Amino acid sequence: MNARTALIGATALALALGLTACGSGDDGKNADGSTTLKLVAADYGDSKSNASGRYWAGVVRDFERKHKDITVDVQVVNWNDIDKTVRTMVQSGNVPDLVQTGGYADKVADDLLHEADEVLSPRTLKNLDPTLAAAGEVDGTQYGIPWTSSTRMLFYNKEVFRKAGVKTPPKTWDEVAGAARKIKSSGAAETPYALPLGPEEAQGESLLWEMGNGGGFTTKNGRYTLNSSRNAATFRWLRSNLVKPGLTYAHPAGTDRKTAFADFAGGKAGMVNGHTGLVQMAEKGDVDYGVTAIPGKDGALKHTLGVADWMMAFKDGGKQEQIKKFLDFTYAEKTREFAETYDFLPVTRDAFREMKEDEENRSLRPFFDQLPGAKFYPLGDPVWDSVSAEIKKTGGKAVQEDPAKILGDLQKKAEEAASRR
Amino acid sequence: MPTKAPPPRVDGGAKRNGPPARTGRRARSGGAGRFGPLPWIAPAVLLILAVVVWPVFELVRTSLMEISISGVVRGGAGTDKYRKLFDETGFGQVLLRTVVWTVVVVGVTMLVSLGLAQLFHQRFPGRRIARWALIAPWAASVLMTAIGFKWMLDRTAGVLNTLMLDLGIVDGPRDWLGSPDTAWPWMMVVAVFVSLPFTTYTLLAGLQTIPDDLREAARIDGAGRWQTYREVTLPLLRPAFLVGVVINLINVFNSFPVIWAMTQGGPGNDTATTTVFMYRLKESDIAESAAMSVVNFAMVVVLVLIFLKVSRWNEEDG
Repeated sequence: MNARTALIGATALALALGLTACGSGDDGKNADGSTTLKLVAADYGDSKSNASGRYWAGVVRDFERKHKDITVDVQVVNWNDIDKTVRTMVQSGNVPDLVQTGGYADKVADDLLHEADEVLSPRTLKNLDPTLAAAGEVDGTQYGIPWTSSTRMLFYNKEVFRKAGVKTPPKTWDEVAGAARKIKSSGAAETPYALPLGPEEAQGESLLWEMGNGGGFTTKNGRYTLNSSRNAATFRWLRSNLVKPGLTYAHPAGTDRKTAFADFAGGKAGMVNGHTGLVQMAEKGDVDYGVTAIPGKDGALKHTLGVADWMMAFKDGGKQEQIKKFLDFTYAEKTREFAETYDFLPVTRDAFREMKEDEENRSLRPFFDQLPGAKFYPLGDPVWDSVSAEIKKTGGKAVQEDPAKILGDLQKKAEEAASRR
Repeated sequence: MPTKAPPPRVDGGAKRNGPPARTGRRARSGGAGRFGPLPWIAPAVLLILAVVVWPVFELVRTSLMEISISGVVRGGAGTDKYRKLFDETGFGQVLLRTVVWTVVVVGVTMLVSLGLAQLFHQRFPGRRIARWALIAPWAASVLMTAIGFKWMLDRTAGVLNTLMLDLGIVDGPRDWLGSPDTAWPWMMVVAVFVSLPFTTYTLLAGLQTIPDDLREAARIDGAGRWQTYREVTLPLLRPAFLVGVVINLINVFNSFPVIWAMTQGGPGNDTATTTVFMYRLKESDIAESAAMSVVNFAMVVVLVLIFLKVSRWNEEDG
């Protein structure tokens, strides 16, 4: 390389770096007077054929046909990165108009979001499932618009149960341990109960067990109780009854939910707590499975854990009217398609009713029945997202080390976060 | 990238020996010449400013701010984030683990590479192919290698697990990466494995610069094999050895893909080094993560300073 090309190359590189550093923000108004909405959405697909990009392309195509003056620019991001992506966008002033992801309340704390009734017509608003709509509230005002949901139940492998001589699906913790012991001694499955407390979803599995002991993450008025004695007792029970006797993974804190699901769908696990997504997986793996309510210490849970993902509208771009048109359209015409693509529960009343009655979805019916009355994470708490991130990181260790110490640390962090607010 | 530009031949390139006459050059060249070498180094300086200095400045600035989890800057935080960082449970262990990780991985890499380099320096049939083969772990992406090992160690399907089971080394399939006690040594093995090719080649290049007659002379003087190696080969290998140590120190200290691919620093933070810990902090507090980066940066600077001192000592000594 001679000096001249080196100089030109270096200058060009320096210029390029300088230019990308100061990206320009625009108001979304195009030259021809149309508006562009920017939507960032999570990818629910596990292969090219069911990637969420395909779903959104269909939605946008049909929407733009009806509304010539609005274009929608969709960016689909995988689950691991979506929150970081949105955070970077907000931080750099390049705020999207709509985001569809797992949590919303942290954005309410920074006053970034439209209230739900500002961007949904009364008709759409009334059509939302009331349990889910309530979970979208922060201090009595709804910001989070439910996008999709699921409920949790205990999956068990019927063939494994038969081989092990387990007659009825377990309702209590002791029955879970009893069934697991039989599975182990008969060698019917490699992992009798799959306990995934790894970072992928430690908060879900923890809460399911804690609820079974009358514990949980918060009190009724929203104060964190991560290290309550009931929660600590839950982990002690798990440790001495499932982990130590070798009835589950040797290192639950390092085992992610996808491993547990794959093990169950591969016939290698006897029991696992799962959501609707596991139905499809188990059927694909030809597993003869049954589902039952989540076992508790003294009896099955009356109210299971419900999980929801959210749509939220950002105020920054000032495109309230266009957002409203897009959301009204999507919720009226595309909710069911999404739920059916990924085997989730739809969030609107009409789609819920239609899907539940459809024979095609009969394997999902028990999950539909569990949704009314389901309990949720403290989703409306603006610090929940950071608390949840901490639980994912270290919460699973409570089953391997002293739960009082691990949960105490988490509680300290949660209280700090709440006090900083 | 070559940064040495040939000097402008304004004086016709007449003087072959000694620097060009300064006065004559200044007199004859107008315009750009007044700035001396500045136009030539300016792009490099700009580049350094843009890709090194500016990010460091931004990093330090971020570490002094309060940034909400949704990405909104809420104002200054002073040194709060540093205090929060040092108060993190297990922060001391993460630091200690980083030191152990760096020292053990670099140490073992250097020792094994010395042996390997010696081996590849010998003449044997198929040496050329063997040398090529050594490049393979280097040519493969570190991330891919780490993911490969992760699956080879898999609890149920891993080939290494099966092999150890068949050889009777273990009595049942083990979840090697689930517990820090077993994950840690395995990750070190992988880190050494991916560091070997580069280090071996560096040492091999060093070995090839040592003239054979030196060793021959030593032998004639009655030195044994080991004595020749220790007192002739090793001292002459020192420059190559030092380069290997330093580059490995920085590489291994910053080593992210191996740990991230195999355990993500978990369970908890039990297998995290400072680099991985920094990445994990990003999930909950970006400013605290920036503070961790600043501390990391400081540690690398100290590492480099120590090296500079050591290498200068080497010059005077040699």
